[in-house]
Amino acid sequence: MSQKKILSYSQYVVSLFIFMLLSLALSIRAQERFRRSPPYPEPYPEFSLPTIEIHSLTNELDLAVVRREDHPIISMRLIILTGESSSPDDLPGIATLTARMLPKGTTTLSASDIEERIESIGGNLAVDIFPDYSVFTFSFLEEYLDEALMVLAEMVIRPTFPRNEIANVQRTMFYELASQNTDPEFLARRVLFRILFENHPYKKIAFNQGVIKNLNRRNIVSFFSDYYRPNNAKLVLIGNLNLETASRKVSRYLSPWEKKDLKYSVVPSLNPKEKLKICFINLPQAKDATVYLGNIIFSITSPDYFPFVVLNQVIGGTSNSRLFMHLRESKGYAYYAFSEIKFFESCGVFLVKAKVRIEVIGKALAEILEEVKSITQDPIPSQEIEQAKSYLIGNFPLNIDTIDKLSQKISEIQAFELGSNHWEKYKENIMRITSEMVSRMAQHYSLDTPVIMIVGDREILDNLKEVEEISIYNADGVLQYTISKGDTE
Amino acid sequence: MIKKFLLLILIFSGMTLWLNGSGVQTNTELPFPFSEFTLRNGLRVILSEDYSLPIVSVVMAYKVGSIHEQPGKSGLAHLLENLMFQGSRNVGQMQHISFIQKIGGILNAVTTEDRTLFYQTVPSNQLALVLWLESDRMNSLNINASNVEKIKNSLIEELQIRKDADPYLESSWYFDQLLFPSLTYSHPVLGTISDIRDITVKDVIDFYSSFYTPNNAVLSIAGHINKNKVQQLVERYFLTIPRGSDTPPSSSEDLEEIGNTVQSIISPLATYPGFFVGYQIASPYSKDYYPLVITEYILLKGQTSRLYKRLIEKDRTAIFLGGGIENKADYSAFKIYVRINNEIMRDRSQKAVFSEINKLKTTPVPKRELEKSKNIFKMSYFRQYATISDKAIFLAEKSLERDNLHVWQNELPRYLSVTEIDVLRTVNKYFNDDRIILDIKIK
Repeated sequence: MSQKKILSYSQYVVSLFIFMLLSLALSIRAQERFRRSPPYPEPYPEFSLPTIEIHSLTNELDLAVVRREDHPIISMRLIILTGESSSPDDLPGIATLTARMLPKGTTTLSASDIEERIESIGGNLAVDIFPDYSVFTFSFLEEYLDEALMVLAEMVIRPTFPRNEIANVQRTMFYELASQNTDPEFLARRVLFRILFENHPYKKIAFNQGVIKNLNRRNIVSFFSDYYRPNNAKLVLIGNLNLETASRKVSRYLSPWEKKDLKYSVVPSLNPKEKLKICFINLPQAKDATVYLGNIIFSITSPDYFPFVVLNQVIGGTSNSRLFMHLRESKGYAYYAFSEIKFFESCGVFLVKAKVRIEVIGKALAEILEEVKSITQDPIPSQEIEQAKSYLIGNFPLNIDTIDKLSQKISEIQAFELGSNHWEKYKENIMRITSEMVSRMAQHYSLDTPVIMIVGDREILDNLKEVEEISIYNADGVLQYTISKGDTE
Repeated sequence: MIKKFLLLILIFSGMTLWLNGSGVQTNTELPFPFSEFTLRNGLRVILSEDYSLPIVSVVMAYKVGSIHEQPGKSGLAHLLENLMFQGSRNVGQMQHISFIQKIGGILNAVTTEDRTLFYQTVPSNQLALVLWLESDRMNSLNINASNVEKIKNSLIEELQIRKDADPYLESSWYFDQLLFPSLTYSHPVLGTISDIRDITVKDVIDFYSSFYTPNNAVLSIAGHINKNKVQQLVERYFLTIPRGSDTPPSSSEDLEEIGNTVQSIISPLATYPGFFVGYQIASPYSKDYYPLVITEYILLKGQTSRLYKRLIEKDRTAIFLGGGIENKADYSAFKIYVRINNEIMRDRSQKAVFSEINKLKTTPVPKRELEKSKNIFKMSYFRQYATISDKAIFLAEKSLERDNLHVWQNELPRYLSVTEIDVLRTVNKYFNDDRIILDIKIK
């Protein structure tokens, strides 16, 4: 028996109906046109940054006020324009110890009274020491400005530096530094800075725990008396307050602070290293290799700042930049690879940092050097430059989106006396950068002759046999010996 | 008469529809102004204008977390969070991330016991891009054997890395099992390695289609925005995404009582021993919760808190102190975590902890100390919505917790009006003999 495969009329209607249903279903599944591709952005909104208002007190303390009406918190930063680089040569660490001793007792308040006063106004206090300046960051509920200023005034005018508290802070500093001796990134950065800043005051920022025992109360008192002066300080206040009220209140509490002629020491400028130097620090049993590359560049006030910011973005600012894309995404050598720029008053440092798989350390090192060389020698496609600029402009507001970040940015502007242009014209300054400007500048600095610090287990030296010369340092940054290509250990 | 009555009802219901449906309701009394509307498909949208910076934050929050996982499928919610970056119909693998990063934006995602949040902050002229990305993965996520397998492997690897990095992680999970004794609440959000291995593509598809629906989500947008324009954009990208079926209720079972429990666990990789103390306390939605939070600040928050001063500064029996109140959906626990130098300090530290708790039971907290604790609390409350991105997260979280956002208006005053008597009463009620002590020992 055979069946004819001819559809009856009713079957035909049914299948036609099914066909129609199916195509209807398909057309529902077909998506709206606008879903197919990303929408275009609207024009960038007009926007002005908050104004910084300045007032100078009679004792020459500079006050900067930024009004933020929307939040019931005040951020207050006292900047002392002296940092670790001003520690006497035989007393590295004294700037840090002095700053950290300020909240540890005054003629009327003990260390725990000060803690109690600060927490009672919902506040907290942080102390940060940089090479060129030291910062006391204090945030609290806005209704307590008077209380906060009173505690601050006590700390800067009448500290007593009690001996038992000095011992406590010294002990804490010692353990903090000692515990970092197994942190490969900390080690790499510290020893790299010691080499880059050899014979320069900035070398002092890379002090290690061994120097802490050399510091005593007399050193603290003398450092304090020389530098903790209103004419060597700036105060930044952000919150729902105006310049007039702020000036009146600040002056009420801080005008008894006496000024004094300062021992000015100009930090000398520094030249980039002109010869590639590869160094190694043994960190037994480290699972990976940590690579830090660095060289000296210009200071933050240089006109080269903006093209360099774009250059940094192209080479390693984020995970869309060249280093990350090549070393991690396409080659799989590294867990991460980024670059950054650090600025000090007299110079800056360009850094590349990467965490690399041990087996491929040799190849990774060659690749990093190749990236740095390429950016100094080959033209940069303008599409990459535009991409970097769009990132930088879009990301800028996110660097000031908390009151603390805003206050940090303003403190930097105040401490380095950058002027309002640096801040207000950021977008315009980035917009005008071209590929040629970046290339010209990249050639100008010796990015391809950096100091490279590798931290890892000494076994990885076997994977670095192709390197001409490696200087072996210990964790304190003291050169131990040098090995050359072909040496057998 | 009846007709007239019906007509009135129709008018009124029409009006409410109009109010809830498309009209934007504005509220200016919360800690900061916001407005909200709900799309026909159930997607709830909360907006907050803030012109302090030219940025916009978008939070897409789904009401789903580890408590919605079936037994044996732990880690599924977290897996799906990760899968959301693996591409959808019009967005390639990991493209979501690169789109946001290329324009200078930042993004992140988080899965907890009862919610999954995706958040991004971008220049405000790029809002449409974010809505395009979020709607595409809500509408048409790519789920297939290869990307599920890839995520499973990376999650297992991540779990292993976290275990290696934190020698106390497993003891803290075990502590959670003791403190939240129920299948729903006791498993970690990260899941277990064997459960993750067992997750199938079908599990993932089912989970996605049950929970990643407009009617199970809140879209919160804060920043440099124009409300009316945003509403049009949101409608364009989300209105045609079909409503999902009503979400199955999480298998919420009551917690068992914990009784008086003392146990110990060995953390083989840890350098220092320590212990946990835990109490089950009032639910976050009860009136007893407010004094308990203030108690948390009195005991644990800041360097002048009672336990810090006692254990770290005065007795010096402990080297680290942590803990606080932890909420898992409707349940709350009070945790105290102490790390000690050696075994000799264990007994002394535990006695000190209980003696401080007992003091709170018998002696009212001095007014000034209560004021201090409330001020520290107030500061951290304000910090919850300090930035544009915080605001978007705050609104999303609050609207997941309670349908009516207006109830939050009185939240801060409720904390600030806690009296020393409230503290005394609630500490006596909840800090009783039903508590867990888990000793962490080292090899």
